[in-house]
Amino acid sequence: MNKLSVADKATERRANHWVDPSFIDLREECSSLSGRRNGNPVLCSKAEMKKKRKREASASYLLKESSQLDQNEPWVEKYSPRSQAELAVHKKKIEEVEKWIRVHTNTKSGILLLTGPSGCGKTATVRVLSLEMGLRVQEWISPTNLEAYSSSHEWRMNGFSSSSQSSQFQDFLLRANKYNCLKMAGDGGVTHSKLILVEDLPNQFYRQPGALHEILRGFVRTSQCPLVFIVSDSLSGDSSSRFLFPKDIQEELGISSISFNPVAPTAMMKVLTCISTQEAAKSCRSVCVPDQTLLETLCSGSSGDIRSAINSLQFSCLSTDSCTSVETGLWRTKKDRSLCRAGSTTSQRKKKSKQEEELAIGGKDASLFLFRALGKILHCKREKHERADGAEGGCGRGLPSHLLHHHRAALLVDPELVVERSHMSGEFFSLYLHQNYLDFFCEVEDVERASEYLSDADLLTADWMNRSVLGDYGSSVATRGLLHSNSQQASVGFRALHKPSWLLVNKKHWENCVAAQSLFRSFCLTPVSLQTELLPYLAKLTNPMRNQDQITFIQDVGQMSLRRFSSRLKPEALTDKESGELEMDSEEEEKEVKEAGGAEEGLPASQPQPTLNQVLLEDEDLIIEEYISD
Amino acid sequence: MSLWVDKYRPSSLGKVDFHKEQAAQLKKLVQCGDFPHLLVYGPSGAGKKTRIMCLLRELYGPGVEKLRIEHQTIVAPSKKKIEINTIASNYHLEVNPSDAGNQDRVVIQELIKTVAQSQQIQSSTQRDFKVVLLTEVDRLTKDAQHALRRTMEKYMATCRLILCSTSTSKVIGPIRSRCLAIRVPLPSIEEVCSVLTSVCKKEGLVLPPELAKQISEKSGRNLRKALLMCEACRVQQYPFSVDQDVPETDWEVYLRETANAIVSQQTPQRLLEVRARLYELLTHCIPPEIIMKCLVKELLNNCDGQLKTEVAHIAAYYEHRLQLGSKAIYHLEAFTAKFMAIYKKFMEDGLDAMMF
Repeated sequence: MNKLSVADKATERRANHWVDPSFIDLREECSSLSGRRNGNPVLCSKAEMKKKRKREASASYLLKESSQLDQNEPWVEKYSPRSQAELAVHKKKIEEVEKWIRVHTNTKSGILLLTGPSGCGKTATVRVLSLEMGLRVQEWISPTNLEAYSSSHEWRMNGFSSSSQSSQFQDFLLRANKYNCLKMAGDGGVTHSKLILVEDLPNQFYRQPGALHEILRGFVRTSQCPLVFIVSDSLSGDSSSRFLFPKDIQEELGISSISFNPVAPTAMMKVLTCISTQEAAKSCRSVCVPDQTLLETLCSGSSGDIRSAINSLQFSCLSTDSCTSVETGLWRTKKDRSLCRAGSTTSQRKKKSKQEEELAIGGKDASLFLFRALGKILHCKREKHERADGAEGGCGRGLPSHLLHHHRAALLVDPELVVERSHMSGEFFSLYLHQNYLDFFCEVEDVERASEYLSDADLLTADWMNRSVLGDYGSSVATRGLLHSNSQQASVGFRALHKPSWLLVNKKHWENCVAAQSLFRSFCLTPVSLQTELLPYLAKLTNPMRNQDQITFIQDVGQMSLRRFSSRLKPEALTDKESGELEMDSEEEEKEVKEAGGAEEGLPASQPQPTLNQVLLEDEDLIIEEYISD
Repeated sequence: MSLWVDKYRPSSLGKVDFHKEQAAQLKKLVQCGDFPHLLVYGPSGAGKKTRIMCLLRELYGPGVEKLRIEHQTIVAPSKKKIEINTIASNYHLEVNPSDAGNQDRVVIQELIKTVAQSQQIQSSTQRDFKVVLLTEVDRLTKDAQHALRRTMEKYMATCRLILCSTSTSKVIGPIRSRCLAIRVPLPSIEEVCSVLTSVCKKEGLVLPPELAKQISEKSGRNLRKALLMCEACRVQQYPFSVDQDVPETDWEVYLRETANAIVSQQTPQRLLEVRARLYELLTHCIPPEIIMKCLVKELLNNCDGQLKTEVAHIAAYYEHRLQLGSKAIYHLEAFTAKFMAIYKKFMEDGLDAMMF
């Protein structure tokens, strides 16, 4: 692949067909009548194959497209959006990006960073917008170095010297920036403005983001066209966008950043229905058209990833002979279940529990951001009171009178699922809960019970030998204990969440203990008497026999508490500062989550939420807009 | 200039200030030649280590006081390197195996083996055994204690062990039965007073007997603490006055304030503040067990007699959990919350009773 390839729409599509579409193999194997494979001599070498295929591809491209390609082409490509109206992205986001591009093609500079979960339409938006505005997109594609090793001869002949990816990247930016494309006769003589698009950064930059920043500084100085970075969010916590483009660099280089949300279910449904109707219209016999419930299941199972939703739609529509039985079998169970659910109540169906249903095929693991997962446990949402009153007779009847105070309305969340989806060990999740739970309680009696449950949970996971077995039980005890003991269920409003400070405290404790041991070894004391007796008194004595390290250590460990004691405000200030740092992180998380929440909670707007907290209030305008776009 | 604690530490069994009969018995033990393994136990600040050092001097002469600090690296069977510091003379080796954490078994076996394998050169003039002094034996893992039992028998010919711990309850039975147990109790108030007075006299200071009494009471008969307090008093103010404030350690004052905060208000917000304070204490190297113990003591001082049994009960409950669990803050906080709930209920009941 040439790194300077001008990725126009057509060439890009052709490039895509050098590789077989992913579903072709399946079809071939299923029908077992592929003449093409049998016809090919098996003996020919790989390189020859490649060349042959290339030629074939370029020569018979048109022929193929008319006849066969239609079915083989992935629907993601086939139905890729051509206009703004087709995009499944929120209108305001598109406007935002459009405005940026418009402004910055005029000024011929600027860097834009698009973030968001995978499959939320970042690349599609950029492509559609540049198509509409008549911009030429020049994209960086990381070169694979494998070829350089296998045929170094060719490499040199081509006039390339092999160089590191990062320097190639720098080179690419320089050239793409400086030189315009050659004017071709077919272009119609329009001088295109240009847009540089970078989607997969060379790996080197993940190891040394500093190198990237250097290159970007150079780019900003001489830039002649806008540059767009697209970075997908990962759920594992180490957000690559934050790592590659830290706040200070964003400010220094004037990088504007726009973050995308997962595709809203309504928009996704629109697209899926559109595709399925179009396919049905063409309706070769091979395509079985999915019904509405299937689309809904697909939609909820993809958790806002439109690419995977379309892919699984295509997959589920494939009905070759051999596959049919298996697949319909799979779908049938699914359908039955969803039908049952649909039968019960419509409001029931709109509830969250629907999303927690998982797909047999093509479903994406739904996952939660940590902030959201914690909120689910801490806010302790239960069924509303009217319903609870109605059910009181039913639920309360099961409990004897002396246990009635343990009766609670049914939970709206499944705690184990929440922990699982937070992508975190139960023990660590409990630590997060412990750090934050006090803000959500208003009675000491509740706190007493909650803290005992947390203590129980710690006890369960204390022994390393059983930790792997009991870890899940521990987190169950912690989460369910917290949920149960929060009896008031008062709306606490919005609360900032913090990272647990225990880890830091514990680390510091051990570091200080070790330092104390090594610095004051000459006293030959046991650690306990050293730390609780000697050190505090040494701080009070004026004993000149100590070296510099010892003096600073004593000031740190012995005397600091003295200072803190004299001014009682100190602990507040310290924790404020500490949580201030953490808040910055959690606020970022919170922002993401808030927006993500807006997308996810699009459906049940008709249902009043049990707690009217700030988060929901802020979501409301988003929800309304989505209804308009409907 | 060294601390008074070190400066005036008695160096021979004849010079110790209290438990003189015991010192005489130890002296006889050395003279009769057959020296058993020893298990010296008693509370902190009672003079265990002082007596052990005196005993070693009695055994080997003044050569035992030439100490050197050695940094040893031991390779565990799992190829993991364990670093540990030892204090040694030509005749003995002192080590705190609990420094090595979980790997203490390896440390004990390896160190005793190396010491025991090298014989004394001049066995005619010297004792024919060396001494290994293990401190904080109560913090050894069970594993290590069982390993110790075997090692003790195996190298009896060339090596004697002196074990030092604050209590025997965590030392397994087989080890206790293999050792001669020597209990070193705390000195009485009068004994502490006399030591303080004599130390001050040697320093050329005049210590009023009232102040000496006050210091010894405040120190809880812990002689090391008493001497440190006395020296801090000297820094604070000299000449001493009778009603002088005896300086306490900062963390004790801090903990007392924490206890007051708990008693004065029982809300989740207050618990959050208490948690911050507990964290602060932990970062200042105060072990969680000590925090628990002192917190309970302060709380008991503050609460009504009726509550005391219940508070002591829950304290014991959570102290046990503290030992079993891995994250101390959960249990400290659970105890605080429990106390808050009990105390609040008690106060509300009391208020109701007043109303009617």
